[in-house]
Amino acid sequence: MAAATVSHEQAHEHLTEQELWKGGRSPFKAGYGKVMMWYFLISDTFTFASFLIAYGALRFTMAESWPKASEVFSSIPMDMFHGVKAPLVFVSFMTFLLIVSSYTMVRAVQEGYRMNKWGVVKFLVPTILCGILFLLCQYLEWTHLIHDGMTATTASETTKVVNFGQLFFIITGFHGLHVLGGVILNTWLMIAAMNGRFEKVGHYEMVEKLGLYWHFVDLVWVYVFLCFYLL
Amino acid sequence: MSFEVPSEGHLHWTEKEYNESRSSVLKTIIILSVVTVVEVGVAMVYDSLVTDGSGKIFVNLFMAIASVVKVWYIMGIFMHLGHETKGFKLTVLFPFLFLIWAIIAFTMEGDSWNAMRSLLNGF
Repeated sequence: MAAATVSHEQAHEHLTEQELWKGGRSPFKAGYGKVMMWYFLISDTFTFASFLIAYGALRFTMAESWPKASEVFSSIPMDMFHGVKAPLVFVSFMTFLLIVSSYTMVRAVQEGYRMNKWGVVKFLVPTILCGILFLLCQYLEWTHLIHDGMTATTASETTKVVNFGQLFFIITGFHGLHVLGGVILNTWLMIAAMNGRFEKVGHYEMVEKLGLYWHFVDLVWVYVFLCFYLL
Repeated sequence: MSFEVPSEGHLHWTEKEYNESRSSVLKTIIILSVVTVVEVGVAMVYDSLVTDGSGKIFVNLFMAIASVVKVWYIMGIFMHLGHETKGFKLTVLFPFLFLIWAIIAFTMEGDSWNAMRSLLNGF
């Protein structure tokens, strides 16, 4: 395949039918990698759903003694706000970080689809920064809660039941691990885009594939936020 | 060595498609922000006004619906599922039907466990 000089669309026509998906043509008129990313995300949804449904089941077994979110997450975990009662403020800020980073990610995908290399890089930078900031916020929140006595094996005065801490650290920890993975992948993506890798490939589909993963992290946070902080 | 990776996706947009996508994404982030602000506002107002937990079921119902709205927009616009083929939308969305039953079954299980514990406490 002498593909170096032909455009992506021309190179496309030279392929035999079997070379696309080995089965004739792409199902769903979508790239193989994108479809597989969606399937991975569905399986990951079920992992998170099992955790959150376990949370629901355990909470129902002790509905009367379950702690109120506004009492457990009642303060901002920073020294300058010490003693200030401000329930939900800090976690709302964390939620906004993820929403904003989702927006900048989708902007990077759009710039990729009009082959704007530096546009992709420009919008990946705030995406990565928001992800890192989110992890820092989570670090502050965790240290604050652990300092209060809520750990994976003990309950604090406000949480009362051990299961609350267990579920909180496992579920937000697993979500944080996904954010960390997303930050690492997005950093790789930014460097690859800067090096012109996707211009050689002929398209920026990789930005959309990793974008799907990053939006999924935001999507899961919607439900973690709902279960732990709002219900 | 050739880097070309074949894909049948729609990977090169015209300026018109780009501009349409930009405006729909801008609209989506505004909706997501407003819904989140309203959710947090309702939670704060409820916590400061009500202490005995009455009417909590309606607040929870509102939060659940608001979250579904947010996820609908994230999947439909940000993850671009609204523009995929019908078959692809269905393969992605169908597995979630199982979760509806899982939520009902496991919360009922938890509830009955709770009821049995209060029986045991009599001894």
